[in-house]
Amino acid sequence: MKVCLKLSILGNICLGVLLSLAVSAAEPSSSVTLPKPPKAKQNFSDTQKCVAPIEDIRRNHGDYLKHHRNETMHKGIRTTQYSLVACINCHVTADSKGNYPNINEGSKHFCKSCHNYAAVSIDCFECHATKPETP
Amino acid sequence: MEFWTAFYAISFYLAILIFIGGLAYKIYQYAKTPAPLVIPTMPAPRTSSGVVIRVLSEVILFRSLFRSNLWIWLFGIMFHVALLLVLLRHLRYFTEPVWGLIVLVQPFGKYGGLIMILALFGLLARRMFVERIRYISNPSDYLMLVLLLVIGISGASMTFVTHTDIVQLKAFMLSVIYFDFFNWQSIPSDKMLLVHLAAVILLMIIFPFSKLLHAPGVFFSPTRNQVDNSREKRHVAPWALELEKTGN
Repeated sequence: MKVCLKLSILGNICLGVLLSLAVSAAEPSSSVTLPKPPKAKQNFSDTQKCVAPIEDIRRNHGDYLKHHRNETMHKGIRTTQYSLVACINCHVTADSKGNYPNINEGSKHFCKSCHNYAAVSIDCFECHATKPETP
Repeated sequence: MEFWTAFYAISFYLAILIFIGGLAYKIYQYAKTPAPLVIPTMPAPRTSSGVVIRVLSEVILFRSLFRSNLWIWLFGIMFHVALLLVLLRHLRYFTEPVWGLIVLVQPFGKYGGLIMILALFGLLARRMFVERIRYISNPSDYLMLVLLLVIGISGASMTFVTHTDIVQLKAFMLSVIYFDFFNWQSIPSDKMLLVHLAAVILLMIIFPFSKLLHAPGVFFSPTRNQVDNSREKRHVAPWALELEKTGN
């Protein structure tokens, strides 16, 4: 009897946890947090905003950059199509005082705004600069 | 692709209702079911804290399986630990800002996915090639493994082969869990993602009716969660106690 009682208490606790989970998900929040990357300086061409269609870039930019890195470092082939430096030059923009966002602070930096959101760490900036070479 | 957005959002709500409701009902049922006798498998702990350790070692380490069959234990523990890592990794789609621990676990979860698939193939091979196990296997035993394999392979392929827009996916998931009814952020319509989520939804729906109930059920196993104190204390089933009172 006592065992059975203990088990039923355990069962009730489990039930309570599940219910409270369901309730806490219902906290009032009309809109969802979305990353807000700053606008790029210019379009890539008249017909295309970035170096590839946006849907493609959003899914595959990591692979493109890594492939580009391997081609450049190991084979010495340096192209401009998927160059990280070119990404930074166009996408990282200064505020009115001419200051560039710090990659380690918050999500103002173009790359970091989404990478924080999706918890994807990047090691590009262990070596590369986080802001444009030429202002 | 607004159709898929609404379709998956509504399916998620239905699946989570069935999952939580069904699970809560089963746990209630397990808790209410009386254990008429004291039947812990010996040697059994003689104190309550001993029982806690016993149940935990069963839940975390699969102790009895380890002692009875090492290679099945190996595949089992590989699958479950990998699944835990993968589930933790997925919390990044449901939390904003993402918790520090979840950021740390990302790379581990990534390779956890591969280990999970490997272990599932091992468990599938066990079912198919061990004569004795094949004989007692039902279609539903295969279904669970196949569903988990579909989830694992489609998920890992999105990490390692054909990516989806995970930022958009997170926006969709957040809008679903914050109940933005018919104002959901749109779901990326990559085929792998749709297959992955459909399989997850199916698994959630089937969970409370399947052998996957071993997850809560392991806590309610009378041969493992009872104290070995039948010498110190007399146990009488409630119905027997009634009979003693009325003197029949």
